[in-house]
Amino acid sequence: MRTTQAPTSAAAESSTWRALSRVEIDLFVRSMMTAYEVVGVQKKHGRMTMDKVEDPSELLLEFPPQVHSPKKFLFPNWQKLFRFSLGGKVYLEADKAAVPRVIFGMHPCDLHAVQVLDDCLFEGEADSVYRSKREATLLIGVDCLPDEHCFCSSVGTDRTDSGFDLFFHRADEGYLVQSGSERGEALLRRHAPQVAKRDEEAPLPLQVKPCEHQLDFAVDALAPLLGDVYDHHLWKEIGERCLGCGACTLLCPTCYCFNVEDRMDDDLAGGERVRTWDSCQFDHFTRVAGGRDFRSDQADRQRHRFFRKYKYLWEKHERTACVGCGRCSRECLANIAPVNVLNRLFVEEASPELKALPANEYQPDMVEIIAVEDLTNQDKLFRLRLNTPIHFTPGMFVAISIFGLGEAPFTIASSSDDDMHVEIVVRAKGALTRALHRLQPGDSVGLRGPFGHGFQVEDFAGRDLLLVAGGLGLVTLRSLLLSLLADRQSFGTIQLLYGVRNMDHMLFQKELLEWHGSNQLDCRFAFKEPGNSWGVPTGDITHLFRNLDLQPQRTSVAVSGPAGMYRFINPLLLRMGVDEEALFLNLERHMKCGLGKCGKCRINDVCVCETGPIFPYSKVKHLKEAIER
Amino acid sequence: MKPRVGFFDFTGCEGCQLTILNLAEKLLDVLDLVEVVEFREVQGNCNEDLDIAFVEGSICRPDEEKRLRLIRTRSKKLITLGACADLAGINIAHEEAGGAELAMAVYGSDSKHLQGGQARPVSAIVPIDGRIPGCPVDGQEFLAILHALLLDRPTNLPAFSLCVECKLAELPCTFEQGIVCLGPVVRAGCNALCIEGGDRCRGCRGLVDNPRESSYHRVLETFNLSVDDILEEYRTYNLRIDEE
Repeated sequence: MRTTQAPTSAAAESSTWRALSRVEIDLFVRSMMTAYEVVGVQKKHGRMTMDKVEDPSELLLEFPPQVHSPKKFLFPNWQKLFRFSLGGKVYLEADKAAVPRVIFGMHPCDLHAVQVLDDCLFEGEADSVYRSKREATLLIGVDCLPDEHCFCSSVGTDRTDSGFDLFFHRADEGYLVQSGSERGEALLRRHAPQVAKRDEEAPLPLQVKPCEHQLDFAVDALAPLLGDVYDHHLWKEIGERCLGCGACTLLCPTCYCFNVEDRMDDDLAGGERVRTWDSCQFDHFTRVAGGRDFRSDQADRQRHRFFRKYKYLWEKHERTACVGCGRCSRECLANIAPVNVLNRLFVEEASPELKALPANEYQPDMVEIIAVEDLTNQDKLFRLRLNTPIHFTPGMFVAISIFGLGEAPFTIASSSDDDMHVEIVVRAKGALTRALHRLQPGDSVGLRGPFGHGFQVEDFAGRDLLLVAGGLGLVTLRSLLLSLLADRQSFGTIQLLYGVRNMDHMLFQKELLEWHGSNQLDCRFAFKEPGNSWGVPTGDITHLFRNLDLQPQRTSVAVSGPAGMYRFINPLLLRMGVDEEALFLNLERHMKCGLGKCGKCRINDVCVCETGPIFPYSKVKHLKEAIER
Repeated sequence: MKPRVGFFDFTGCEGCQLTILNLAEKLLDVLDLVEVVEFREVQGNCNEDLDIAFVEGSICRPDEEKRLRLIRTRSKKLITLGACADLAGINIAHEEAGGAELAMAVYGSDSKHLQGGQARPVSAIVPIDGRIPGCPVDGQEFLAILHALLLDRPTNLPAFSLCVECKLAELPCTFEQGIVCLGPVVRAGCNALCIEGGDRCRGCRGLVDNPRESSYHRVLETFNLSVDDILEEYRTYNLRIDEE
């Protein structure tokens, strides 16, 4: 006998809505009690519980979500499978048919939970004991208000338009009853005929429940997420907290794992084979003959619970087996709450493409300014302390933001050897850079990055280096120079040519003087404007090439300067015999997003923030937009 | 021939034997299944071989120890009956309080008849074949264990904690009221009788086989219990824990 048919039909094609009062509901219940066992939530011994209704006026239609689930009526803890008698021939007695029953008081999450039970118990060889109960039971839904443990709105179970026979919605005056099946309609016609005859009302819109507890991501991201976190340390942590009491599974409206055992009559003449609830959290659950336990660690058991709810059954039935009712966390002494567990796994483990959080990759990290130094009247050097180490190569950039004024890219001026600090040079030009100039050590700025593709310093090993800087272009080459000097013996001669407008615009004067005086590199300067205290001859940077001692075949060249500079320098270098592959250009554009998305930094079809801003000449020479003509 | 069964009592209140007598009609079913050859609450001593000996009470004096050994030698199966036999019960508490002072407080100078020694569980003296825990035992559980013995099935006790039975009975958690309860580490099987009655669990059924002590102590610490308070919790029924 195979069936996958759930007895309650899916959404009634034509759902009807009718108004009725609480008094009419009481009459309806009283009438149903003649034909059915009606169960619903009532206050008994000072607490609310779902039980057989004796007095319709005591039936509660509004009750909090901590009331235990109606699972106990569809899949009870103690369920006789059959009776047997011993002595002579074993005799099996057929079971009696299930009691016709109405469950009046199913919250939307619990209606969803019945669908999960249907999925699991009707699958393959349908469980006839469950089915007989399911078929003999009518489900009447009522609405609810989530508490702080509910997260139904995250798993889409906060409302439903199917899975019930009738649903009672609270309306301004009294209630609106919505039919969900032909059985529900018939129930209304027979037991509340005056209501069934009434004119139909307009349907209420399905309301989204206000849950304060939320998953930080879409529920369909869960199964793939869990696939990546099987060995996550969080399971061990939870395993150490877990008391193994199994309350989570017993209270769960979709947990149905069970044990089967024989319970004898007192006279041992016969007995029953019964099904009792079991739990994957219990010690004996996975124990086999001989005593071996295939899942003995509590961490593994908790992981299994989560995987079953959110991954295994999701992959099988395309429905999360958790309905977000919060019962497990509400009564967990160790405070193991699925939302917290899953959100933590998500934050710690989610791969970037899983991160559905809007603007996450656009959100800067706040970093502290630890030093500010005036380089010139209009240029300042900022030293920033990072929160987490970053790896970069000279030529790469970071995006710096001040909220309210925006974000701009800045090339990194410091050595790539220090991964906990970044230096940037800021020339006060616009609103953002002027605001940066007002900041002091101790202030914070937003930082994203590093982004881009820089110089591969290790490729320069054994070669001579010629660094050609114009104006602010020196900032990028300073980073390169510091990285080269940090491993000075690995390289041949190093020459720096620096052209700048005048002394007042000259960056890193102190360092340049030091380098100039050292024997580590050869520094040459050119000032465009006449008159300077250093005795530097006046002229543009091309003058510095005139008596340059260069062995072109073994020299790598890095050029960084204003756009117009490349037009003159490149032909000069190529004429000197520098290899196109060994000529590196810093082609900075407006690298707004740094993520290859915004399109602002493209040179023809090349995205600077992805493949640049440091390019070998050979890679860009065909690009019409690369070099100003 | 029906299996022969004897009931024996040592230091204890005999409440467990009374619980069995209180099974009333069900006891008549039992009497159809077994022959009760000894039962102090009903009839006197004899010295025949037994299929099953149920032993109630803890072992406090040398003569008790000797008597227990004799019962063991003439019984195929020996099952402890109740917390005193199982754990030494609350009898062991007098050691904590100081036996002499207690005797003085209760009996004054007229306490010469008291012969109490160190209370020990039955299993500390002789090997046992099964246990029926509780203070007193649960009548239904006694029947289930008896059935298991008669059918030669393992005399398994619930392996899960009392929390399970509280949840099944839909009882509000004792901790919710700010009251510490031993339920999370104590063996189920009593249907949460004390919780239903408004009390907390004091552990008469002993610890589950695998109590999650560190997890449980973490919970207790959130209720501001010190290590001494926690140990005190375990002391009522002499529950053995790792005192780390």
